Amino acid sequence: MVRGRKILLILALAAPSLAHAADPIMTFSDAAALLAKSCGAEISANCRGVNLDANRLKECLSRNQDVASSQCRANFLVPFDQIQKRIAARVTVAGACRLEIIKLCHGSTKETSKSVPCLLTAKGVSRNCTQATIDAGYR
Amino acid sequence: MRVLLRDLRLRDLGLLATFAAVIAATSPAVRGQAAAPARDDIVNALSKFESGPELDIPALKPKIIERSRSRGKNEPEASKRPPIVPELREFPTFNVPIQFDVDTPIILPESYETMGRIADAFVNAPLLPFSFLIVGHSDTNGKAREANVILSQRRADAVREVLVNTFKISAKRIQSLGVGEEQFIDQAKPASPVNLQIQILTVAKVPDQQPAAPPAAATTAAKKSSKKKK
Repeated sequence: MVRGRKILLILALAAPSLAHAADPIMTFSDAAALLAKSCGAEISANCRGVNLDANRLKECLSRNQDVASSQCRANFLVPFDQIQKRIAARVTVAGACRLEIIKLCHGSTKETSKSVPCLLTAKGVSRNCTQATIDAGYR
Repeated sequence: MRVLLRDLRLRDLGLLATFAAVIAATSPAVRGQAAAPARDDIVNALSKFESGPELDIPALKPKIIERSRSRGKNEPEASKRPPIVPELREFPTFNVPIQFDVDTPIILPESYETMGRIADAFVNAPLLPFSFLIVGHSDTNGKAREANVILSQRRADAVREVLVNTFKISAKRIQSLGVGEEQFIDQAKPASPVNLQIQILTVAKVPDQQPAAPPAAATTAAKKSSKKKK
C-alpha cells in the first residue's frame, strides 16, 4: 500500500515534466529559461564570454560535459532543439496553410508573413494550418 | 496508528514537494531579479506605430562618438546634457532590463528568458509588419563617456545578434545603436541603473513594395541566392 503511494507520489511529481514533454513546441522564452535553469551555473563557470548563440554555446556546453551537473548534462540539448523546432515551424506554415494562403487570403506562400493576419482571422482555416501558426508563435 | 503516521509523512512529503515546486517557479523573483516582461506587454507597446521620422543609423554613430569625446570646460553636467538623438523619443518604446557580464556585451543566463520573450514578441503576428531599433544606454559610472558609447553599442549589437542568429528574426527587421550616456532613459537621474536598460523601438513599417521577407522565407531565400552565386 505504502509502496503504491510512493509510486503515486513519484508519478505526481513527474507529471508536470511529462506534460511538458508532451507540449507541442516550447516558446522561445520557455526554451531559453530552461537553458538558464539547467545550465546557468555551467555557463557562468565554463562558458564565460560566450553569448546566447545556438552554435557556440552548445559547443561550449558539450565540450565541458565532464564537469557539468547531471541536470545540465541531461537537459542542455533540449532548449536548442526546441528553439530550432520553433524556427522550423515558420517554414511549415507555408506548406500547412498553402490552400488558405492562396484561396482565403489571396496571398503567396513565398511571403507567408504577409498572409499571417488573414490566416489568424479567416474562417475555414484547417486544423493543421491553425496548429502551424501556433507552433510558429504567430498567435 | 503507524499507518496513519506514515500517511501523514507521505502527505507532508507531497506538501513539501509542492512548496519546492512553487519556490522553484518563483525563484527569480525571490532572488530579487526582475521577472521577464510578458510577451503581450511587449507586443502591445510596440505595435502602436503609425509613422515617425526617418533615422539614418550609420550617420548617427559617428555623431554620437564625436560628442562623447568632447571635453570642453563648458560641458553641461550629465543631467543637463541635451539628448543626442531626441527623435528616438517619438517612437513606441519598450524598456527592458537585460543583465550583462561586467564591461562586456555577454548576456547573463538570468536574462535568457527575457531575450526569448523579445523574440516571441517579434514573431507574434501584430509585430510582423514592423522593424525595430535596439538602443543601448549607460549610466554615469565614472568611465570615459566614449567607452560608455562603445560598450552600449556592443551590447545593443549583442542583443540584435542573439535575436537574428539564435532566434532567426530577419536581420532586415532589426538595427542597433549605442548612445552611452549621451542620452539617458531617465534624464533627471543620470546615475540611476534605470539607464542601463535596453530600449526597443518600433521605427518603421516593413515596406510593401520590397518587403523584408519573413524570417523563415528570408533564410530560405538567402540559401537560394547563395546557391545561385555558387
